[in-house]
Amino acid sequence: MPDQAQKSRPLAPGSGGGGEGPSTPKVDKPNVDDLLKRMRKVDPDQAKRYRQRTGQ
Amino acid sequence: MKRPLIQFGLETEIGIYRDGAAKLDVVSESIALVRAAAEQGVLMRWDYESEDPHADMRGFHVQTLRQDADEAEYAVEDATRGMSFAEIKSDLVLSNGARFYNDHAHPEYCTPECSTLEELVAQDRAGERILMACAQALSAREGGAVRLYKNNTDFCGHSYGCHENYLLPRSLPWETLTQNIQAFLVTRQVFAGAGKFAIEAEDRFVSPGFQISQRADFFSELQSVDTMQRRPIINTRDEPHANPEVFRRFHVILGDANMSPFATRLKVGATALVIEALLRDPKRTFPRLADPLGALTGIARDPWFRWELRLAEDQASTALEVQRAYLEGVKQVCDLGTPAKAGLVADWEAVLADLAVDFRRCRNRLDWVAKFCLLSEFQESHRVAADDLWLRSLDLEYHRLEGTEGLYYGLEQAGAMLEVPDEAATRLAMREPPRTTRAYVRGRCVQKFGPQIASAQWDHITLRGRQGPIRISLLDLFAPEDILRYGKAVDAACSPDDLRPLATLAS
Repeated sequence: MPDQAQKSRPLAPGSGGGGEGPSTPKVDKPNVDDLLKRMRKVDPDQAKRYRQRTGQ
Repeated sequence: MKRPLIQFGLETEIGIYRDGAAKLDVVSESIALVRAAAEQGVLMRWDYESEDPHADMRGFHVQTLRQDADEAEYAVEDATRGMSFAEIKSDLVLSNGARFYNDHAHPEYCTPECSTLEELVAQDRAGERILMACAQALSAREGGAVRLYKNNTDFCGHSYGCHENYLLPRSLPWETLTQNIQAFLVTRQVFAGAGKFAIEAEDRFVSPGFQISQRADFFSELQSVDTMQRRPIINTRDEPHANPEVFRRFHVILGDANMSPFATRLKVGATALVIEALLRDPKRTFPRLADPLGALTGIARDPWFRWELRLAEDQASTALEVQRAYLEGVKQVCDLGTPAKAGLVADWEAVLADLAVDFRRCRNRLDWVAKFCLLSEFQESHRVAADDLWLRSLDLEYHRLEGTEGLYYGLEQAGAMLEVPDEAATRLAMREPPRTTRAYVRGRCVQKFGPQIASAQWDHITLRGRQGPIRISLLDLFAPEDILRYGKAVDAACSPDDLRPLATLAS
């Protein structure tokens, strides 16, 4: 898959991309408001510091 | 046909990080983590002599593995630690029959052998708990919070595995198994993928972007015995840990580590059903892919989740259609008479149907969907750019094994996930082995005679008796009546010497 395809990905399929992708669903959305607040506290740079050795 | 014997287990390498460490030595951290275990276990008694990762299912021994050069380099580095091989590995055999050790540079938790998915899910979750208890103990003792991640990458091209093991009769020819299961393994990521906000290659980050699999970036061969470099879709390691005349172990290294117990159950359960279908009807053919390696990354990275591919006959198809073909074959061939199997097939069918209508319907069951939906909502509400490093940090946090911090656990606590394991079952699995497999003998020996265990392996355990070693072979211990008999003997034994008749029986 070309990198360009990744860059042009919409935020969520169906929310952009010229009408392509699945249509807007009728899906029960869980209440994750508290979790979204908790996510704000996640250090944006944590993944930069996280370095592992290759395993199996 | 008599119900074929298929047992399974998981071996999961965990990522480790310590807050505030200026330069993290992951090997030291991994050793320290294992040694922080408070669970009852037997330390440094693992028998490495009977392991042979160079044996190939295709009937030969390879001289070297691709990782051997790296291993030699690590051995030189490890020699400076002032520790023996056994001390570096720090193998621990636990009272639940599990193995917990430092595998190179990762704590690895291997579940005991299980014969039901209920057992497997409980043991997998028990492993998360045991590891987290170790991290908390280590953090308290040495300062700096130890973070553990049940994922498969550091986003810089360093991947580590969650391997599945399926014990099956050797009567199923290797070619029949691998030719027919390959397309299933490549396409099952649509429900078994854990999702990742990065595109990688071996040893490097390539670009931002979401894909449904953590591991798909790291496979470049169709079949080989290697597991660390140029990994294959089908691993050919021939190390059954059972009677090699009768059994083979299908060692699947392609899968992601799942946080969702539903996904774990479906991944292992559907794979076991496909194996059962092949055992019952070896002549049945399943879809073949024109380009399995291309399909693996093509499906994983498809930005529209259409998962189109080409079959070997150059016919256009999709991952969902391929999965439906396997599902249909399983329904026609397998014995689905138990509620567990019938429920599994119903769940498999429902997931495929939901994915076809709208993938978001699966956010309460599948890791990649749960992660994608949660992070997309955060991305939208906080206007986070698609290439922002924050997404990778949040992705990592999804897999964090800390009940109050990990985002997956947060979803469970919000009531957003199905099949949250029963707390009592998890606690029981932390100390008790499954009763339906040979792991019961191993676990009960650890519980009752831990200090007298001289060595242990998946296929044997050796105890110190008054008149010398008592080696109990587990090579052929799979029939339920034999497991029951051995289990009763261990339950009744007052000393290892009481188990000498089992050694006699097995020899």
